[in-house]
Amino acid sequence: MDIKEVIGTIELPKISLFLPELIVLITAFVLFTLDLVLGSKQKRWLLPSLSVIGYVLALLSIVVSSQNWGDTFYGSFTNDPLGAIVKIFALIIAIVMLAFADRYFTAKKSFYGEFYYMLAFTLLGAMILASSYNLIIIYVSLELVSIGFYILTALLRGSFISKEGAFKYLILGGLSIALASYGAVFMYIYAGSIDLREILSYEGSDYHYLILGLVFFLIGFAIKIGAVPFHFWLPDAYQGAPTPVTAFMASVGKLAFFIPVVRIMPLVQEKFSLAWMLTVGVIAAATMLYGNLVALVQKDIKRLLAYSSIAHSGYILAAVAVTKEIGLKAVIYFLVVYAIMSAGAFLVVALLERAQGWSNEIQDFSGLRFNALFLAVAFMVYMFALLGVPPTVGFVGKTLVFMALSFDKLWWLAMIMIVSTAISTGYYVRLVVIMFMKDREKEILPFPKGVTEVVSLVFLTIMTVALAVFPGVIWGLIEPASELLFAR
Amino acid sequence: MEILRADFPFISLSMILPVVASVFVLALREELSKWIALLGTGLTFLLSLVVVFSFDYSKSGSVQFYEEYTILQELGVKLSLGLDGLSLLMYFLTTLISLVAILWSIRDEQISFRLKEYYVAFLLTETFLVGVFASFDLLVFYVFYELTLIPMLFVIGVWGYKLRLYSAYKFFIYIFFSSLFLLLGIAGVAVEHFFDFGRFSFSYFDALKNSYSLGLEIFLFLLFFIAFAVKTPIVPFHTWLPDAHGEAPTAGSVVLAAILLKMGTYALLRFNVGLFPNATYELMPMLITLGILTIIYASWMTIVQNNVKRFVAYSSVSHMGFVVTAMFLLNEEGLRASIIEMFAHGMTSASLFMIAGFIYHRLHTFNMESLRGSLRFMPLFAVVVATTAFAAMGLPGGSSFWGKFLTVLSAKEYSYYLAFLVLVGAFFSAAYVLYMLKTLFLDFREESILIHFQDVRGFKLSAFVAVIIPILLIGFFPHIFFNMFEGSIDFFLKLFEGLM
Repeated sequence: MDIKEVIGTIELPKISLFLPELIVLITAFVLFTLDLVLGSKQKRWLLPSLSVIGYVLALLSIVVSSQNWGDTFYGSFTNDPLGAIVKIFALIIAIVMLAFADRYFTAKKSFYGEFYYMLAFTLLGAMILASSYNLIIIYVSLELVSIGFYILTALLRGSFISKEGAFKYLILGGLSIALASYGAVFMYIYAGSIDLREILSYEGSDYHYLILGLVFFLIGFAIKIGAVPFHFWLPDAYQGAPTPVTAFMASVGKLAFFIPVVRIMPLVQEKFSLAWMLTVGVIAAATMLYGNLVALVQKDIKRLLAYSSIAHSGYILAAVAVTKEIGLKAVIYFLVVYAIMSAGAFLVVALLERAQGWSNEIQDFSGLRFNALFLAVAFMVYMFALLGVPPTVGFVGKTLVFMALSFDKLWWLAMIMIVSTAISTGYYVRLVVIMFMKDREKEILPFPKGVTEVVSLVFLTIMTVALAVFPGVIWGLIEPASELLFAR
Repeated sequence: MEILRADFPFISLSMILPVVASVFVLALREELSKWIALLGTGLTFLLSLVVVFSFDYSKSGSVQFYEEYTILQELGVKLSLGLDGLSLLMYFLTTLISLVAILWSIRDEQISFRLKEYYVAFLLTETFLVGVFASFDLLVFYVFYELTLIPMLFVIGVWGYKLRLYSAYKFFIYIFFSSLFLLLGIAGVAVEHFFDFGRFSFSYFDALKNSYSLGLEIFLFLLFFIAFAVKTPIVPFHTWLPDAHGEAPTAGSVVLAAILLKMGTYALLRFNVGLFPNATYELMPMLITLGILTIIYASWMTIVQNNVKRFVAYSSVSHMGFVVTAMFLLNEEGLRASIIEMFAHGMTSASLFMIAGFIYHRLHTFNMESLRGSLRFMPLFAVVVATTAFAAMGLPGGSSFWGKFLTVLSAKEYSYYLAFLVLVGAFFSAAYVLYMLKTLFLDFREESILIHFQDVRGFKLSAFVAVIIPILLIGFFPHIFFNMFEGSIDFFLKLFEGLM
């Protein structure tokens, strides 16, 4: 081949398309270097503030990157509205979470510089994962997110449950990535391409390779999102991780791991609509029922919220089963708002953990209203939102899922969803009841809260209601995202 | 349905007023909270009087004072508020009973702590209830319908009697579980509109244009029905009610029985009958059977109650049986009986719960046996009790007379056996009321214990007066009320023209 021809095919990467990722990458490396160089005194204030500056810049750069959509790096990186939504909310939650992290670790009498750069790398992985159709890129970013989460989970070195959670997560996470990459290999055999769009629109004869590949690939992701029966790591990891990290895992982690599934959803449905509906529907039903039933008997608040997270994977999967565009919208909306609700709930727990004598038991919540009215009200809003009481985002999410299910006449799945939501009333409302209607059983001293923490929590709580009362704000992003995906 | 737009946003104003009042309650000192709440509900009541007098009764079938604010264009969700004759009556009931509840609470000894939250809960309930009765958008209706749960959860759970936590929990779970079916039904209606017209819409007026296959219509009907049957409640879905009503503080029981139960019957008429006439017609025998069952079963249960509040609670269920039976007879008398009974029961049940509360203040017990003959020493209170009880029993001149009388009339058009069964129900309801009156008035009692008791007076008396005036008004001048919703009845009957 002539050298000129080769040079002619070289495409310059369009920086404007991946500007947010670039900024987060630079932030991560800066944090990494500074952590090596600086003394611990400067680190304490420099690392969090630099991370926030980096993330805010990345958030602003989304304005630039959303000017034009398109592929770059030879089609392996796709900048589209769906990715933009994920990036916006992942960055917002990361910024909010940083407000809580430092004081949390101080209360645990520890400081870890690696927390900041591992967080940045994890965030970067999540952002890339949300914007690619390329199997290799998906594999690499999946590893990046996962390794970040393993390390972040094990951050509290002294704690046994932290190590246990991380170890379980490592083993099952490894399995999931192995399965996903094995599936990717089969898909490559089928179509001779590593681009999911090309694979799924390819009309080949070796159909069984595609099916085998898709099954392995999706099981890999099912493990990551905690779908039953692949959920065993999730409660332990959520309980063991430092609580701000749990908030990040439950929100951004779930958001990012779901996106590749969302991306291929319309493409797979075109080929296997009935099989897809049944398989995903059954998994969704099992997930929501199991999550809610087991959450009922939990005594630890973090485990309870972890099982509620499993149940929410079930609700979202129910919408994934739907083969119409409204299903896609329901999935995207529910994913984004679940990220906000769960982040809020876990961050309230992170705050409460700083109080003396707090042990994360459900009973510790009794009479919380008398000691920490603000936290009790915020937590009540999240409980009602997770339950799906109007006017919160959880309610709009469930309405959308119901609409999607009735569009495809999946009444049986809707009924199971009703029953499992009714089961979930048992634990969400119990928390509200014991917070507001019981007397204090244990004296818990009031503790100082930082301004940034209060502001971030107020922000999340307002978002929980505002995105439901004024859904137009977020709908403007979801509409183009789902239309673009569905048009393919 | 014709729509007349509002010149002045009366309805949204009467929803905003209580919210503003509750902001003031939260911001100012605790001792002031009851007076601010009184002012807020009082002003809202005056506003509702203005609405009632400026309503155009010649067009009571059309939606008046209509306001519309878009929430989400793409899914067809609009905050559309308006009143037709039926809604108007319920709206008036809401503002009146909210005022009564506050009037009662001012001197209620049970309400001695966390006053701010208490009054905020009642003010917000008023806002949400106006929203329920004025919404002509299914999703917005659902939002308000669910929202009423939260303040009531707190009212029962915080200021209730002994079993308050259990009752609050049970109340929430029952209603929330059942209304999830409603949510699915609403989603189904919106999606059906998409199949017919190519766009989503939650609007009631758009939903009226939908056409369904019979199977789907019955399915959707049942989804709606489960929610409202639990709310109303219809036997066998009633088991949450005696607990919730029995354990709530007096004003809470008043609001629960007088307005929250009407949400169920109102919605049955507005949505089940209005949106699914074919299914209603198909299921008519089952629905009437459930109604009769409710009347008779609940009356029996009432007679054996030993706790005054549970007694009143079960009597509410049996009254709801009359409302449901009359409604699903689907003729003019039946609908008229059903709607007037909704309003009448609002008045009598409010009064009865306040009577129970008053007795508790004086004797510190709800036990029927220990109340024997206690009324002899409180003449004014005895008048109140007698008026209310006879009105609830269905004596001519009282409010429930028209409801029961017209129910029998309309049942006769359907079949004489049915009319007989309704009469049996009416007989039992007379039996339990007379039993109560006998216990309270006629049984012997040691005089020395009771002689010091103060008669009813002040704010409590004014609360009683506020409900007894409408009771007598309905009894003697029913046409005032019948005129209010004549047009709505025509609207519902027109849906069945081809079927009956």
